[in-house]
Amino acid sequence: MRRVVVLAASAVAVTGLAACVLLLPGDGAPGGAGAAQAGGAARAAAPGPADPLTTEEIRRAAALATAGMRSHLAAGRAQLLYVERDDAKDGEGARRAEAYVYDYARDELTVRTVDLGQGRVVREVTDRGVQPPPSRQEEAHAAELLLRDPRFGDGVRSAYRRAAGRELGSAADLALRGLIHSAPRGACARHRCLRLFVRLPDGTFLDTSRIVVDLSAKKVHTLEW
Amino acid sequence: MFLRLALAAFVAAASHASPAVTIAAPAAAACAAPYLIDKTLPNGARWQMCWEMRTIEGLTLRKVVYTPRGGSPTSVLRSAALAQIHVPYDSGEPRYHDIGSLGEAAFALTSGDCPGGERRAEKVCVLDRARGHAHLKDGYGDPAERRSRQGRELVVLAAYQVGWYTYVSEFVFGDDGSITPRLGATGSLAGTVTTPRHGWPIGVGHRHFEESHSHNVFWRMDFDVHGDARDVVEQYDFSGDRTKKRTMRRTPFTRETRAVNQRMRWWRVVDPRALNADRHPMSWEINNSDSAEYRGPADEAFTRADLYVTQYRACERLATQNPSPRCRRSVDKYAGRERLTDPVLWVNVGFHHVARDEDADPMPIHWQGFRITPRDVTAKNPTP
Repeated sequence: MRRVVVLAASAVAVTGLAACVLLLPGDGAPGGAGAAQAGGAARAAAPGPADPLTTEEIRRAAALATAGMRSHLAAGRAQLLYVERDDAKDGEGARRAEAYVYDYARDELTVRTVDLGQGRVVREVTDRGVQPPPSRQEEAHAAELLLRDPRFGDGVRSAYRRAAGRELGSAADLALRGLIHSAPRGACARHRCLRLFVRLPDGTFLDTSRIVVDLSAKKVHTLEW
Repeated sequence: MFLRLALAAFVAAASHASPAVTIAAPAAAACAAPYLIDKTLPNGARWQMCWEMRTIEGLTLRKVVYTPRGGSPTSVLRSAALAQIHVPYDSGEPRYHDIGSLGEAAFALTSGDCPGGERRAEKVCVLDRARGHAHLKDGYGDPAERRSRQGRELVVLAAYQVGWYTYVSEFVFGDDGSITPRLGATGSLAGTVTTPRHGWPIGVGHRHFEESHSHNVFWRMDFDVHGDARDVVEQYDFSGDRTKKRTMRRTPFTRETRAVNQRMRWWRVVDPRALNADRHPMSWEINNSDSAEYRGPADEAFTRADLYVTQYRACERLATQNPSPRCRRSVDKYAGRERLTDPVLWVNVGFHHVARDEDADPMPIHWQGFRITPRDVTAKNPTP
C-alpha cells in the first residue's frame, strides 16, 4: 500500500493549477498557522533558510502540489490539509514545502514535497493508516456530520439553544477543535476519524468524549467503554 | 593550503576561543525579523535562535546558539519542539493525543499575557524576567568579597487552546546557560464524571468526582553541540545503595536507546572534540524532569521510557501519531538498534493530575518540564 514517487512535474501541470488553487475548498487557509503568521510579516526580501513559509510560498506550494487533483478536491474526495515547511536536514538551505493531501475514498495520505526554487514537486510519498492532525476544514466538516446525525444533531442544536438563547445557524457557530482518533480495530483502524471538542457560547463544552466522527465513511460512531 | 585548512579546523575544534565559523551565530544568518530572537541578558549571556509556528508541532525553536559573557557563540540545538501530549484518563478511557494541529490551536496573546515582552506575529511572546538568585556568597565582613547577583531569563512562549485545556508552552533560557522546556496546563477541567475510585470530589458534597488523568508530554530535541557533528549521548549513574561510597558509571550510547529515570541518573550530549579552556569537552546535561513516570499498556509502549535517543530521521516528527507517510508511527518504534551518528533526544515527562476544588475555574496552571544545563561549556562561571 505504500508508494514513493519522485516526480518531475511538467510545466503543463504547474500552470494548470494557477487557477485551481482558487477553487480549493476554503481556499486562503491551506497553510493554516503558517499562513496566518506569515501574513502579517510578508516581506519583499527573499526569506532566510530558517524563516517560515510566506503566504505567497504556501499558495505556490499548494498550487504545485495539487495540480491534476482538481476534480478530486472539488468533489470532496480528497483534501489539502495544510502546507508545512520541509525541515529535513538534507534540504537545508532550500525553500521546500510539504503539502499534506488526504484521499478519503482510498484512505491514503500523500505528502508532496515542493521545491519552491525549482517550482516543481520533487517527491511524493503515499501511505495508508497514517493520520496527521486534522485541519480546520476537517473540524468544520466533522461538525456538519455531527449535526446531520439523527442521534446527535438535535441534541447539539438544543444544547446550543440553551447556551446561546438562539438557534444554531450552522456548524460555523460552534467553536471547534479536533483530534485524531485511531483504534487498533474497527472502522477507525483505517478511516480518518476525529474526536471533536465543541465549545458553546456560554463557555461549556458538549460531552463528546464517546463521539467519533468518521470522515472517510461520513458517519458518527459511538465509543463503548 | 590543505595544511593550513586542516590546522584551522584543528584549532577550531580544540579551542573554545576559536570556534568554527559555522558555529558563530547561525540563527542570525538563517532568519530575520520577526522570526529572529537575539537577546543579551544583563549579565552578558546572549541567546540567539529562530522561531517558527509549525502547523503540527506549534512553536518550534531552531538554531539555538548560546554565547556566555566574554565567550564565543556555540550552537546548542538545531531544533526543539513539543512532540506529543498524551492524556489518558484513570478509568482507562478516554485517551487523547492532544497534538492536533497545534499551530492552528495557538491563539493571539495580549500585552497582559506577555508582560514587558514583545509579541511576535501576535501568537509568540518573547520576554525576560527575574529568576531569583544567580548566586550568593558571604564576604565574612568584607563587602568587596561579597558575591550576590540576581539572575534573569529569556522566555519564548505560545499558548494553545485544545478543548477545555489551555496549554502554555515555554522555552526558558537562563543567563546561566540553562534551558528549561516546560508545559503549563490551565483553562478548565474536562468536567468528566467518574467513580470515587478514579476521581476526586469537586463541587458541593460527594456527587461530582472529577476524573484523574495524566499529561505525558514529549519534547523532541535535536542537539547540535558546538556544530552539527560528533554529538554523543552518555548516561551517568552512581552505584552504591545504603553504603557510604558512590561510584560514577558512564554509559555511552552508541546505538539507539530507550532509557528510564533513576535516582541520581542523568544524561548529557557531548561533543568530545569541542573543548573548553580547561580542555574539557563541552556538553549539555538533561536532568530534573520530576516525571510521574506513567507506564501504559502494551499498545502504548511509547510511555515506557523517559528518554529515547534515536538516529536523526526527518520523517520522525511526533512521539505518537507521527504524521509522516512511510515512517514509523511512535518513538518506541524509532528507537531500534541503529548506530547513532546524529542523535535526537525525546524527553517524556508525565504529570498525574488529581483534580481539587481549587481547580475550578479557571484552573490554576500546573507545570511539567525538564532542565538542560551546560556542563563544561565554559571553564568557569562566566559571570562571577
